[in-house]
Amino acid sequence: MAAVFRAVFGYLFLVFVVRVVGRRPGKQMAPFDYVLIFFLGGLTLTGMVANDRSLTNAFVQIITVALCHFVLTALRRRSNRFAVWMDGTPLVLLRNGQWVEETIRKMNFSRDDILAAMRSNGQRNLHEVHYAVLERSGMITIIPGGEEKGSQ
Amino acid sequence: MTTPARTQSIDDSVPRDRNELSVGEDLDFQRRWWRFEHAVWIVFTVIVALDVAGVFGRGPVAKVHKSTPDGAMNLTYEQFQRFQTPSIISIHFGPNAVRDGKLQLWVSQSVITKAGNQRIIPEPASSELKDQGLLYTWPSGQHPDSADFAVEPASPGIYYFSVRLPALGDEFTERVVVWP
Amino acid sequence: MYTVIHAIVGYFFLLLTVRVLVRRPGAQLTPFEFVIIFLIGGVIILATVGNDHSETNCTVAIITIGLTHRLVSIMRSRYPRLSAWIDGIPLILLRDGQWQLEQMEGLRVDRDDVIAAAREKGLTSVREVEYAVVERNGSISIVPRR
Repeated sequence: MAAVFRAVFGYLFLVFVVRVVGRRPGKQMAPFDYVLIFFLGGLTLTGMVANDRSLTNAFVQIITVALCHFVLTALRRRSNRFAVWMDGTPLVLLRNGQWVEETIRKMNFSRDDILAAMRSNGQRNLHEVHYAVLERSGMITIIPGGEEKGSQ
Repeated sequence: MTTPARTQSIDDSVPRDRNELSVGEDLDFQRRWWRFEHAVWIVFTVIVALDVAGVFGRGPVAKVHKSTPDGAMNLTYEQFQRFQTPSIISIHFGPNAVRDGKLQLWVSQSVITKAGNQRIIPEPASSELKDQGLLYTWPSGQHPDSADFAVEPASPGIYYFSVRLPALGDEFTERVVVWP
Repeated sequence: MYTVIHAIVGYFFLLLTVRVLVRRPGAQLTPFEFVIIFLIGGVIILATVGNDHSETNCTVAIITIGLTHRLVSIMRSRYPRLSAWIDGIPLILLRDGQWQLEQMEGLRVDRDDVIAAAREKGLTSVREVEYAVVERNGSISIVPRR
């Protein structure tokens, strides 16, 4: 049935686009992120449902999406490889006073994002930061400590 | 008695960064991923460009005009259409199209079944089933300059349709791609 | 083609609306703001798609949004000035025991928000705070006194 194909395609494509569009810096989802996801989700469902507003179609597609989601999460849990494809890995942004330029640039982050995470962790400047790590969720975690770890 | 929980030692499960931070970073993967993403953005841009051009319907590339040499019939339609999305197949008539005071147009069945014709503007006075298609007649006094078929393709795929002027025998057979 | 234009315009319109509507302190959205966002988002979706509900149309719209978002993301990180407009800038609310009144009034933050943020950090009083900064995403960062 075409409805099933549309649902599968819609769901997978949405997951794909969200994955490729990338992570935004910050602990929580900013309001705009909610809006963007809502926008993308709404467009996906419009394409899925097309002009078939029947209850049957709704049930079939909801169940299909739920199944797809279940399969995806099960795969993510079972296979490390798959989990890495879906979520990426944590990435080091700052290490011992050295900015990891390549990562910062390619993730389209700015140093300000790391400074904001640092402040929100209660540090006042970079000399007090040992590591800054970009988590898979987009959150930046700060490991405090001097630049030299020797004194610990 | 409960069975004991399964465990795994931490030492083997998470790789360490050189300065002893347990982070599990995989830069190799990430670099490959960045290249993949780059390719994806290029593909996306191409898709949007194709869409703007009309390859997926509704754009300059999609519009097709065909005319008979004597100008009795001009056909305009979209060669790329979309599932359940309105489109117009338009036929302009020249003066030679009229014979015996009647203007007649024959269209293949696919205009109804595949193209999903909703209505014809202006409505013909009569229609009859003929030759696996429909013959429409506009009697004298009601000869329109053009007839528009408002279609909504019923399913994705490729369909062919034909239109013919019985008066002169001119016929066009065209192919339409319907995107899902 | 209209879908592409509508999608791009819709994206920027949403960006602008959210930027203007949402108050700074705390990235937490109130239920009311959620509703507004749903409404506006919904309308934009309908406007983008029009009467064409084909998978093709919606997919192209999604791709367009993704591309636009990516572009804005890249611009934002390359040009700090642009980032200042789109995301705002961090501002100091409290420094050395002095409330920065202009910033607080301008952002409509009140002292209770800062005091609450200090409590969240485990501080019992505002006197233990050396700096309080409101970040671009609206949350308040507290740097305690040593």
